[in-house]
Amino acid sequence: MGKLWGKSFDKRKIEENIFKGLMVFSMLVVLGSLGFILVTVFAKGFKALSWEMLTQGPQGGYYIGKGGGILNAILGSLILGIGATFLAFLFSFPIAFYLNLYLKKKSRLAFLIRFSLDILWGVPSIVYGAFGFTLMLFWGIPASLFAGMLTIALLILPIMTRSIDEVLKMIPLELKEAALSLGSTRWEIATKVILRQASSGILTGVLMAFGRGISDAAAVLFTAGFTDSLPYSLFKPVATLPLSIFFQLGTPFPEVQARGYASALVLTVIVLVLSIVSRLLSKRFTRHIIK
Amino acid sequence: MQTKTHISARDLTVSYGEQQALNHISIDIPDKKITAIIGPSGCGKTTLLKSFNRLLDLQDGVRVAGQVLVDGENIYDPGVEKTHLRKRMGLLSQRPTVLPMSIYDNVVYGLRIHGVKDKKILDQAVERYLQEANLWSEVKDRLHSSATRLSIGQQQRLCLARGLAVEPEIILGDEPTSALDPVSAEQIEQRFLVLKNQYTIVLVTHILRQAKRLADYVIFLYLGNLIEHGPAEQVLNNPRYAKTQAYIEGKFIEEPTIHKEITLQKERSADYLTSTLLALDELQVDQVLKVVVDSEPTMNEISKAVELKCHKILEVKRIDLLHWEIIIQKQNVNFII
Repeated sequence: MGKLWGKSFDKRKIEENIFKGLMVFSMLVVLGSLGFILVTVFAKGFKALSWEMLTQGPQGGYYIGKGGGILNAILGSLILGIGATFLAFLFSFPIAFYLNLYLKKKSRLAFLIRFSLDILWGVPSIVYGAFGFTLMLFWGIPASLFAGMLTIALLILPIMTRSIDEVLKMIPLELKEAALSLGSTRWEIATKVILRQASSGILTGVLMAFGRGISDAAAVLFTAGFTDSLPYSLFKPVATLPLSIFFQLGTPFPEVQARGYASALVLTVIVLVLSIVSRLLSKRFTRHIIK
Repeated sequence: MQTKTHISARDLTVSYGEQQALNHISIDIPDKKITAIIGPSGCGKTTLLKSFNRLLDLQDGVRVAGQVLVDGENIYDPGVEKTHLRKRMGLLSQRPTVLPMSIYDNVVYGLRIHGVKDKKILDQAVERYLQEANLWSEVKDRLHSSATRLSIGQQQRLCLARGLAVEPEIILGDEPTSALDPVSAEQIEQRFLVLKNQYTIVLVTHILRQAKRLADYVIFLYLGNLIEHGPAEQVLNNPRYAKTQAYIEGKFIEEPTIHKEITLQKERSADYLTSTLLALDELQVDQVLKVVVDSEPTMNEISKAVELKCHKILEVKRIDLLHWEIIIQKQNVNFII
């Protein structure tokens, strides 16, 4: 036998194979759960999904199996999610830019800000809900679209900021130097150079935060309330999909539960479509990008 | 030939945290000439270059002491507007960094941020500066396509055009040809030779031959110290000090072994020269004497006298604000009586 034979029981090779196996296993677990969720939601909900459900608000007795739909929750969630994302963006964008353009890498303040954001990221959403509720009590605001938006905005602010921050961190120093040495102010660099270079990453961060915001139930439980009417005022309660799912699944009637799964399917599809759209959009944005 | 000074450093000391990157550098960079900063890697060449347009300010924990004068104005004065300063200096970095936009937008970026909006002027500028950078003929049909699709050599020329478009007085090049293929590098070098009639060019390079081809004036840095500077011919062909010579010949740069050390201070030694020569007398041939003095005139005087006696000066180094260090190697001196 040649020298190349007999190595298959080499300790290093076994080690390599064990770890490769672990990695493949982890990947399968993740992919499997995604597939399993999709299949469950689809299988249980697709039959109950109807045009009526998507285009009408709940009629009287919807939750005991009578006619109507979840348009109130779909619209409510979209408006609330978009509003909250917009609000959060107004703050997270400047914070991320401040961290990366105005503060130096090892600045204490930057460390403190990032650390606080990371902690905020980990705070459970029910705590945000309770916090929002306390504020509402203090200011005397009733459960409303506005209060829900604010709470969700607070909830997704750290997520959005940190993901934009991570994208901006990747911007090469040379690019900043090149722009600076042409006499730009940092603000000009932010808006004219970095925004272009990082646009796809920023978009991904924003949509990720939106996905998180639109699918959160706990934070809107106290703050946005729930209603059967379509959203029509900032200062009136609003229905949201996660709560709608919760209420429908909580009923003892199988046909309403099936509608709950259908609503879950709608929510999943919204989030899925968003992430696909963001992928497509980011391809267009990267036309000029430096790799 | 006497020329005007454009940039000068006065006692410039730069440190990153604990580590000192530049140690009391004082030099004058002549107007409308090519000045090459040479030296081994990590000896402060880029730091010196970046101190000229205050890009150092971006680094963590950097401290700058001393002055950098551009046209006689100290750019480290608190009132200095950095954007104005940087507008006066175009920068070419090691790897070309085009902005994430089209070729056209790259060239007019500087003009736009400085308030030029007229489409006609912008169009003219694009053509003019791309021509100046010798890129126009290659890209004139695809001005609006992405700059990142250009080859790396073209990108560097685009960076040059972009820098020229803001009408600077100075071009700073941080090893601008090191990432380029030989043909592109040659093109950039040719551009520099043309541009030096209108601009002061400061070039960091570790390619000695490039310094020989381009430079009118050479600054040699070693471990943050200014070892030697002067007209290119003199420094490159006939260096004064041992370290410069070693570097130019491609030899390992060694710290000389000091055999004796004396410190001369104003109030104590009446006659610097006598003390130095006496100290040298005690040494054997080829042994090394280190003399620390506390003023520049004294340093000059001693150096001159020692050279007259045919001893070899290995190095003259400024160690801090007041003190200078002269390293002298004793030579075999035969006095003819």
